[in-house]
Amino acid sequence: MTGQTEVRQTELGGLESVWESGMEDVYAFYRESAPPRVALAAALVESAVDLQRLGGPAPDPPQLLVGDLCLARASRLLAETGEQALQVGFAQAVERVAAAASAGSRDPGLRDLLLAAIEGAR
Amino acid sequence: MITGRRLEVTSDRPTQFVDISTRLQDEVTATGLVSGRVYLQSLHTTLGLAVNENEPLLLEDLQGTLERLAPRDVAYHHDDFTRRANIADDEPVNGHAHCRQLLLQPAFTLLVENGRVILGRWQSIFAVELDGPRQRSIALQLDGEFAPSAAACKNDRDRELVELELARQLRVDPESVQLPMRRLVEAGGKRLRPLLVMLSARLGPRQEPLRAAALAAAIELIHDATLVHDDYVDRAGVRRGRPTVAAAEGASQAVAVGDFYFAKATRVIAELGNREVTSTVAAAMETICLSQMDDVRLRGLYPGDFDVYLRVVRGKTAALFAAACRAGAQLSDARPETAEALSQFGDLLGIAFQMADDLLDYSESSGKPRGQDIRERVLSLPLIYATENDRVGPRIRELLAGSVSEEDVGEIQALVSASGALQRVGRDARDLATSAVSQLDAIDVDGIRPVLADLARSAVDRVS
Repeated sequence: MTGQTEVRQTELGGLESVWESGMEDVYAFYRESAPPRVALAAALVESAVDLQRLGGPAPDPPQLLVGDLCLARASRLLAETGEQALQVGFAQAVERVAAAASAGSRDPGLRDLLLAAIEGAR
Repeated sequence: MITGRRLEVTSDRPTQFVDISTRLQDEVTATGLVSGRVYLQSLHTTLGLAVNENEPLLLEDLQGTLERLAPRDVAYHHDDFTRRANIADDEPVNGHAHCRQLLLQPAFTLLVENGRVILGRWQSIFAVELDGPRQRSIALQLDGEFAPSAAACKNDRDRELVELELARQLRVDPESVQLPMRRLVEAGGKRLRPLLVMLSARLGPRQEPLRAAALAAAIELIHDATLVHDDYVDRAGVRRGRPTVAAAEGASQAVAVGDFYFAKATRVIAELGNREVTSTVAAAMETICLSQMDDVRLRGLYPGDFDVYLRVVRGKTAALFAAACRAGAQLSDARPETAEALSQFGDLLGIAFQMADDLLDYSESSGKPRGQDIRERVLSLPLIYATENDRVGPRIRELLAGSVSEEDVGEIQALVSASGALQRVGRDARDLATSAVSQLDAIDVDGIRPVLADLARSAVDRVS
């Protein structure tokens, strides 16, 4: 089964191009340690941070909005899991990355934070 | 002290006795009038006022009396349009309705004691529609001795609680994100969304003001986070009279600050541990983002039409109003039909609010530069209506077709104002706010109806 068929079409609505430009690989990475919905949420958060170039020069406005949609979609997917620990862990990961970007301090490593959140929710 | 209000009444039949007793009492309660007078005045020549018994067969008798005294099917000079000047295209044939109005009152005074409108055992107050169906307005003035109403006191406590919770939430954040967000939060704003949460959270059996305040503050932070990103997208330099984050701290900071508070609000809501609430807000956030993308994409088709406008506004603005209402109700374990009715109230109120907000682009006192929507090609209902106008529409489209200079912005604003579009949008916004309040008719809103009605009114009667 490919990632594309595993992830329901509705969950990629408006984000097909993001999926094709690398999110599919990120999803496959997280899929090794998380169920499909959680893996997709993690891939969406990574894509958002990437698109929005947190810590780097600002993205152009359309890219910013696509990144916002990735974050919102991830929130919705996590809400559907009903797993409070995951919702909190993922949100804290974004908070830490955004705060570091804003302060110009060292990137705390989003992937590690997300993996820790997934592990912590088991 | 005298306070003025408007009571909006909708009729759905040509002749109709609409009982406004409860709504009038709601107005008295909302203002806290303890002892004094309510003056009512119909603002229409075919809408009368009456005090009588609300008994269905009697109402048929009263209607029959009006019909006998001024029958519809006889000739009235007023209906001979060949003899009248300046007849509008939609001029109604309604001589009978004007004559019937002579038999009723155009205005009267009611007395208030101990916070209650004094009425005899069988008395009800009616707005009498004589040429419906229509949307009508009755002017009210309340005069006398006022005390803070219980609802108003609770409302003030809610506001205070929301402000404290917002300050508490911000205080623990890293300075690099906290300071720009505080500038935005402390600049004011109407706090409509958090207040909707607080009010809705009173409607179920589980009433916990501190948890409601946490949700309310989170909803406000989501709203503010979207503003921070929006201001970068729209290249806006000023928000609530202060520099935007993008303008003051730079675009990269605006992106980071928006993301931080978007995530933080999500976490605060997740920590409440109510799955329904989390899902409601998450769904709304997704809707908002999709609509923002839609909005930017549609700027190529500027100024758009009403259907496009409604679609974008429903997503960009109304979705969070509706979610605030629904999530507040869900947090208090309110019944599903209550949450649904409140959500519909929020949806309509959100659209009305945005319409009123569009008008501020033509106002001197809004705290943002006039004409900004035109410069940034933001969807705006006054502009859409003005471009539909045969007289000024072609010129506006011509000006918008090229790059728009400051001089063009001024001319477009003048053309829109001259077209009557601002008045039309104002009417639409007020009508929608009335429809929003009527969504609450089917549910038990536990005494907060007047407060919600007041909130709806304040959302559309704005100067900033």
